Amino acid sequence: MPTLSPDDWQALSPYLDQALTMTEEQRAEWLRSLANQDRALASRLGALLDEHRKLNQEGFLEKGRVSLPATSGLVGQTLGPYTLVSQIGDGGMGSVWLAERNDGRFERRVAVKFIHIALMGREGEARFKREGNILGKLAHPHIAELVDAGVSTGGQPYLILEYVEGESIDCYCDQRKLDVEARIRLFLDVLVAVAHAHANVIVHRDIKPSNVLVSNDGVVKLLDFGIAKLLEGDGTVAAATMLPGEGGSSMTPEYAAPEQLIGGRITTATDVYALGVLLYVLLTGQHPAGKGVRSAADLVKAIVDDEPMRPSAVVVTAQDAATTSAAATRATTPENLTRQLRGDLDTILAKALKKNPVERYGSVTALVDDLGRYLRNEPILARPDAFSYRASKFVRRNRIAVGLASLAIVAVLAGATGIVIQTRTARRQRDLAFRERDRAGRITDFMTRMFKVSDPSEARGNSVTAREILDKASKDVDTGLAKDPEAQAEMMTVMGKVYASLGLFPRAESLLRQSLEIRRRVLGLEHPDTLKTMRALAATVAQAGRYADGEKISRETLDIERRVLGPEHPETLATMGQLAIDIDMQGRITEAEKLLQQTFDLQRRILGAKHLDTLATMDNMAWILMAEHRFPEAEKMQRDAIDLEREVQGPEHPDTAYAMNRLARILSLENNYPEAEKIQLEALAIQRHILGVEHPNTLRSLTNLGDIQTNAKHYGDAERTFKELHDIQLRALDRNDPNAAATIYNLGCLAALQGRTEEALPLLRNAVDHGLLPQYDLGIAMDDDLKSLHGDPGFAALVAYAQKHAEAQQSK
Amino acid sequence: MGVEAYRLAISSLIAAAEKGQGPAGEQLFAALYSELHRLAKRELARCGFGVTLSSTTLLHEAYLDMAAREGPSFPDQARFMGYAARVMRGLIIDHARERHAQKRGGLFEITSLDADAMEQPVDHRELVQISEALDDLAKAEPALAEIVDLKFFCGFSFGEIAAMRNVSERTVQRSWEKARIYLHRKIRTDLIV
Repeated sequence: MPTLSPDDWQALSPYLDQALTMTEEQRAEWLRSLANQDRALASRLGALLDEHRKLNQEGFLEKGRVSLPATSGLVGQTLGPYTLVSQIGDGGMGSVWLAERNDGRFERRVAVKFIHIALMGREGEARFKREGNILGKLAHPHIAELVDAGVSTGGQPYLILEYVEGESIDCYCDQRKLDVEARIRLFLDVLVAVAHAHANVIVHRDIKPSNVLVSNDGVVKLLDFGIAKLLEGDGTVAAATMLPGEGGSSMTPEYAAPEQLIGGRITTATDVYALGVLLYVLLTGQHPAGKGVRSAADLVKAIVDDEPMRPSAVVVTAQDAATTSAAATRATTPENLTRQLRGDLDTILAKALKKNPVERYGSVTALVDDLGRYLRNEPILARPDAFSYRASKFVRRNRIAVGLASLAIVAVLAGATGIVIQTRTARRQRDLAFRERDRAGRITDFMTRMFKVSDPSEARGNSVTAREILDKASKDVDTGLAKDPEAQAEMMTVMGKVYASLGLFPRAESLLRQSLEIRRRVLGLEHPDTLKTMRALAATVAQAGRYADGEKISRETLDIERRVLGPEHPETLATMGQLAIDIDMQGRITEAEKLLQQTFDLQRRILGAKHLDTLATMDNMAWILMAEHRFPEAEKMQRDAIDLEREVQGPEHPDTAYAMNRLARILSLENNYPEAEKIQLEALAIQRHILGVEHPNTLRSLTNLGDIQTNAKHYGDAERTFKELHDIQLRALDRNDPNAAATIYNLGCLAALQGRTEEALPLLRNAVDHGLLPQYDLGIAMDDDLKSLHGDPGFAALVAYAQKHAEAQQSK
Repeated sequence: MGVEAYRLAISSLIAAAEKGQGPAGEQLFAALYSELHRLAKRELARCGFGVTLSSTTLLHEAYLDMAAREGPSFPDQARFMGYAARVMRGLIIDHARERHAQKRGGLFEITSLDADAMEQPVDHRELVQISEALDDLAKAEPALAEIVDLKFFCGFSFGEIAAMRNVSERTVQRSWEKARIYLHRKIRTDLIV
């Protein structure tokens, strides 16, 4: 049979596609005519199609069983007085089963450990017996007890061990949000157990979270002496006694000491290292080899070669959601966590994690002693030298990042030389004005791109740095671009808008006002750019809650626009809409409604009923009606708007979904929670589909959904919604994003509503610490959801704390 | 929370693999592999001795499990199956190899066909050949290879695959027939060489 090369297949493939769509007769006919053009091709195809016919008859690949055989299905088997209930673990060495006593004498659950079938044989059995022997020697409250050992009727050796109902130490600490000190105290129990093993000349060699369980009543139990070793006379374990496959596969590389990975001598210092890794993980939430998924080979390299980062540096440098949550699960903030780790704990961990075993703590007891000194605030014995290499490397790396950021600012602020040069060479000569415009546009684009990182509606990446750039740039913009007032004003407007979207209104307003002043001076009162800044200023002042001032600016803008652009210009009408909102928010609802109606009529006539501005006005009218508590009318207006939105933009458009959000809100105010929830879920489905789960609008809808569920008193649902939202925010947003902080705040409210005070207060505090906007800070005392906390001294402290936080933010 | 370093959501791995980020494909494979392996064990531990578990059920379970765990960012079922089917093949073949090496029958089986068909299990060497030919086919026409994974290794029907991919059943069948020609030709050729 001729072979089929990739090229052959490529050539034949399209013909096969065609042929397979035909009936037998059609195919014969087609092949005949093809043969007239290309005999060779036709004959090869003919052969393949014959084969196809045969395969069909044979049922090739359609018969036969493809199956997965496996090692064991032992449920129900009995071992002496115990019956196997379910498999609870499967390690490199064997499987572990939960078993129950079946003789009814007393209820006892045990763990039964079988050796893996592949490891059976002389060596495996010998090893298994050894574990029995080892455990038999170790009676300690923090080591899982050996109950029995034996051989099943099937000839399989087993160990029966104390069954520890609990969770691994890292989960235990995180779930209970234990703080640093509590974690260390728990860890000391692990050390005591390991020290006991060492005193019996036994090295555990596989210390890792899943082998350190904490029972529900808080008792630490060290498990799995499966690869434990008896020390030889000289206090070491000779590498030659290792079993095949033992080095890499049965041990957990993440917790392995360098000497385990490179086949060095195993001593008690090997356990000291693993304990160091465990403590590092418990304290920072990260592995000393750093973050990121990597291959086993890279991991091994990191463990053997790279100095770990100082634990305190891990927390400050990893600017991400994981760090924030790592801190939160340690009942603190990243900043506080850093402070607690810096110094002694850094030093203690460095010593435990030394590459060279002889440089580590000489014994587990020495580590116990130093941690004890730390807890008692006494000087520790370990010397702080270990992390210097890595630290200096980090600073070097960071300096480059800092340098790049400064360079970008300099390039923009020092007259944007680079950009101008590029503009000149890349473009043909044009008149000056045009070039100036072009440049301003470029600067704006550039800056906007830079700042968007920190705009919460675009947020992703590193907000702290972006905020720093923004703060620095806005300070320098006065001087840096003084020679180019037009560019300066443009940048001030952009930065003002970004500050406004960050909710930092005073800063936004000051920049916009400066920009406006420059534009008025340079371009004149009536220039379109001047008007643009005025509109931004009006919106910002209104957003800041100063509607009277906003109204003044809107009116001023509107006067000029009516005069310069004309009373029916779309921009003029948009300003009318803004003015209506300003008026509405000052409580002059009738006046606002009248103006909005007027705007609506004009827009419908001039722009058409289906123009997007017109639809926006409809949304606002629905809003005003809602504010007037004329819910049925609001609902009708909003439903009409949605219908039009669907028609104009399609049912799956973001604006349609946005309008549905509004409707859900109105329905919620009508106490029609079931329908509100339904509409909100529909909007959410659209947004997830077209915008993605992480889009700000999708997240906003999720917030609304949680709000509706809270109002409906479906607290469980609401909590789930907010938790889901928070998970996404942790992933998608900056660690100090105000929206994420608001979600934590909402979770705090839900805890309070359900009477879980002790949970509510830390959540609220956490929200304040992670970027809660000042208006929330100041509203805590008056928030009805938090009523159950009134009278609690912790709550009073929180209110004061939040107030300070708000003031600090606003004065920035 | 535990250690963050060595765990990455399947959805992120899929996203990375789709962006063509080199090692993501292997990591995704490894992660799905251990996930399916774990589930198979769990299911069998739950169902007990001597049961037959269909790989289709296993994959559905796996999907529900992971989607529930990872939330709304998890890819839809069709996309997920595209990746998982290839992994399932690996799982089945590894076990067939292992069984051969151990020369002893397993106590449970996962089958891709109706349990009552009771046919002879496909010889593990043949499975390995099919798999190698499939890897070859995947280079030329990945979509065809995926259909074989879904149909032969995972036991999905033409109808189910068609629904997953939003194409007609007939189209799926044609792709299957075409893939089969390739595989057969490839396997026979290899036998001769």
